[in-house]
Amino acid sequence: MSRYSLQEEDKQYIDEFMKKPIGYHSPGLQRVLNVMRGGDVNGKYVLVILEPYRRWALGRLPARRGEPISLVEGVEYTCQLQAERDVFIRRWRDLTGEDISDALNREGSANA
Amino acid sequence: MLKITAYSSRISYRPGDEVDVKVSAVGMKSFSAALKRIVQGDINPDGPGYREDAVPCDIGGPFTAREQKILTGSYGRVQTSAGFAVAGSVTVAALIWPTLPGVARQAIVSVGSESGLRLGLDEKGRATFEAVSGGRRVGHATTTAACRMKAWYAIIGTFRPETSELEIEQVPLQRFRGIEDSGCAKATISESIDVDWSEILFAAERGSDGAPASFYNGKIEAPFICSGQPGPDDVTDHLKGAKKLEAVIADWDFSHDIAHDTFADCGPHSLCGKLFNLPHRAVSGFAWDGSTYRWDERPEHYGAVHFHDDDLYDAMWENDFTFRLPEGLKSGVYAVHLTSDDEASEYYVVFGVKAAKNAKKSPVVFVMPTASYIAYANHRLGLDVSETEIGAGQLLQIDKHHSFLQENPQYGLSLYEVHSDGSGVFYSSRLRPVVDIQPKVQGFIGGLGSNIWQFNADTHILGFFEDRGLDYDVLTDEDLEADGVEALADYQVLVTGSHPEYTSTRMLDAYRDYSERGGRIMYLGGNGFYWRITYNSKLPGVIECRRSESGIRGWEPGTGNYYHQFTGELGGLWRRIGRAPQQVFGVGMTAQGFDLSSPYVKTDHAKDPRAAFIFEGVAGDVIGDFGLNGGAAAGNEIDRADFALGTPPNALIVASSRVHTDIYLMTPEDLLDPTPTWSGTQSDLIRSDMTFFETSTGGAVFSTGSIAWAASMAWNKYDNEVARITENVVRRFSNPAKF
Repeated sequence: MSRYSLQEEDKQYIDEFMKKPIGYHSPGLQRVLNVMRGGDVNGKYVLVILEPYRRWALGRLPARRGEPISLVEGVEYTCQLQAERDVFIRRWRDLTGEDISDALNREGSANA
Repeated sequence: MLKITAYSSRISYRPGDEVDVKVSAVGMKSFSAALKRIVQGDINPDGPGYREDAVPCDIGGPFTAREQKILTGSYGRVQTSAGFAVAGSVTVAALIWPTLPGVARQAIVSVGSESGLRLGLDEKGRATFEAVSGGRRVGHATTTAACRMKAWYAIIGTFRPETSELEIEQVPLQRFRGIEDSGCAKATISESIDVDWSEILFAAERGSDGAPASFYNGKIEAPFICSGQPGPDDVTDHLKGAKKLEAVIADWDFSHDIAHDTFADCGPHSLCGKLFNLPHRAVSGFAWDGSTYRWDERPEHYGAVHFHDDDLYDAMWENDFTFRLPEGLKSGVYAVHLTSDDEASEYYVVFGVKAAKNAKKSPVVFVMPTASYIAYANHRLGLDVSETEIGAGQLLQIDKHHSFLQENPQYGLSLYEVHSDGSGVFYSSRLRPVVDIQPKVQGFIGGLGSNIWQFNADTHILGFFEDRGLDYDVLTDEDLEADGVEALADYQVLVTGSHPEYTSTRMLDAYRDYSERGGRIMYLGGNGFYWRITYNSKLPGVIECRRSESGIRGWEPGTGNYYHQFTGELGGLWRRIGRAPQQVFGVGMTAQGFDLSSPYVKTDHAKDPRAAFIFEGVAGDVIGDFGLNGGAAAGNEIDRADFALGTPPNALIVASSRVHTDIYLMTPEDLLDPTPTWSGTQSDLIRSDMTFFETSTGGAVFSTGSIAWAASMAWNKYDNEVARITENVVRRFSNPAKF
């Protein structure tokens, strides 16, 4: 099974994502997102609605039907785009071991 | 988490009808019920505002709360006449094709409850024959080799009461060198048993609480019982129909009455039976050789039944209350609103109320796409399918009803899931709580913004009617199925929902005939009339779908299983069946994506005088660059006109979306030669075509070809050009003057 894995040159797309997490993306960023947004259901990040359209917790899906969705303790969002940015950083770390949270400070907050 | 769930046995009523409501309520002592007219179900603060109207109606209550359970798992049951018993040695046998051997103990044929004989697979997937007395296992013979998955076996159990011996044979119908999957074993039981012959179950056995348990996953064919102990070759020949044994007691044939839920016994005692929770029928049996795909041509090739431990047809809840709808109730979409002291606990049992029989009809009729609601009933796309997030282009949001479904899979599956053994779900029923046919709920794939889907998304259309003061009646898909085109008699304008994807032959005929009689159709949705479904003449509330050969589909039915059980009709896309939606509606499915929507841009056809009424008061060329679904009017699932597929040659394509994100990809049925160009920024086939044409009988059709259209109508409290265009068309279409 060959599936794309993130490469060093993919770091060029981080800022593009932080500026616009949802919408038109370059082919390079789209490939990165296809990797991040696919994968195993078990442990997949989801937004759990705390207050519709206004407040979300970060959750993770279980492996099997019948098991509950778990919450990532202490992580809540009041902006859907900020949630996208935070999960992007988490997935980048999960896939590469590298912390790119400085990207959020660089681009994210100003464009929320 | 939902503390109240409920359903009614019907989804379409008339004023004055009795409505029955079946409720499970936990964590409360009582609950109350009220009748509501549903006007606008979107609770997005950026939307037009939630609205439901109270309807005076004496429902009674408060009602005592109690929990009602759901038991999934399909099985067959035979009840014998009083006093039926078999003396002496007996052999119980069946052909099986297990799909999950080795994951749990599974019953194949179970004779009796407290005391009896059980032929099945043990937790390691090995054939076993057990004796039970007083609910306890008192002996078993089990082979030493596991059955392989999706391979045919004859399994044969023999009980000799005179010697207290059990024997089991596991005979693979195809053998492979080096693969040891046959076996036999003998055992002696520890105490004598008095076999209870009053009941025989297939694919299940009675559990300690008396309910069916130990459900089997896979196919069973030709189960039978005979006296004595014929040799395994003779039994296998009998099972395969090659040579018949004489000492038969019961000889069940699942190829009889395939369309329904009963089955025949060809033995001397006529021990006919019934299937529960709709296992798959009309599936290939061991004899199927590709010589026919139609089960009604050679039913002997379709003698298998495929059981699943998560099948569900009818939750069979008891009624909690029944009330009568007011005689003068106006046609519309209504719900029984169930509440308790806990403000977070509420549930809506939604249904349509059509016009009273002698009532004056409104000019407009909204057809609730209830078949599509049921197709998506309790769907788990965001829970089971990881790639849903790729298609959504954003993180999936989990509503409280999603969390409930995740923790309560017994509420059953939609046509989008696979069973626990990986086979596709062919049937979806409303005889269970369907938690996503409610206002206020969000979806998984409703686009950036309100993110609502199917029923709740359709309330944007209801809200538009109410906002504009447009008089309308309501029908459901089930009314079209029951009455055909006559259900539409006297209506000037038919308005669809946002996503009427699933259509039966009778429904599609009704649309066609209505159009041919001069009716006016407004198809305000996307990906409509895509899959054929069938209803069952004897089993209410359930639809069948077999996604044969092509289409956007999470599973395929298996080669040979393309024809519907309920009607014998070929399953699949209407396009493949020769009735592409373009023929009646002008447009048909072309692409899907669930992130951003796109605006339409007027075409040269918009200048045609025939189309002038559509754009009256709409000056600009760009239409719908706003909305509550992806921020524009063309999105989610979108349709194109295609003259080669049947768009009438006089059709005007008055506006089209020009570009979509690369989340939008072509349908597989269009993608003949895969190249990396079939995405939203590159393919000009990926577009919504706003289409208008007149029919030869003075009628007309207006189609938007976009699920997101309705959500743009609702933008800015319905004050925008998308709502204006829709109103222009409704008002002209309501005018009886012929086109």
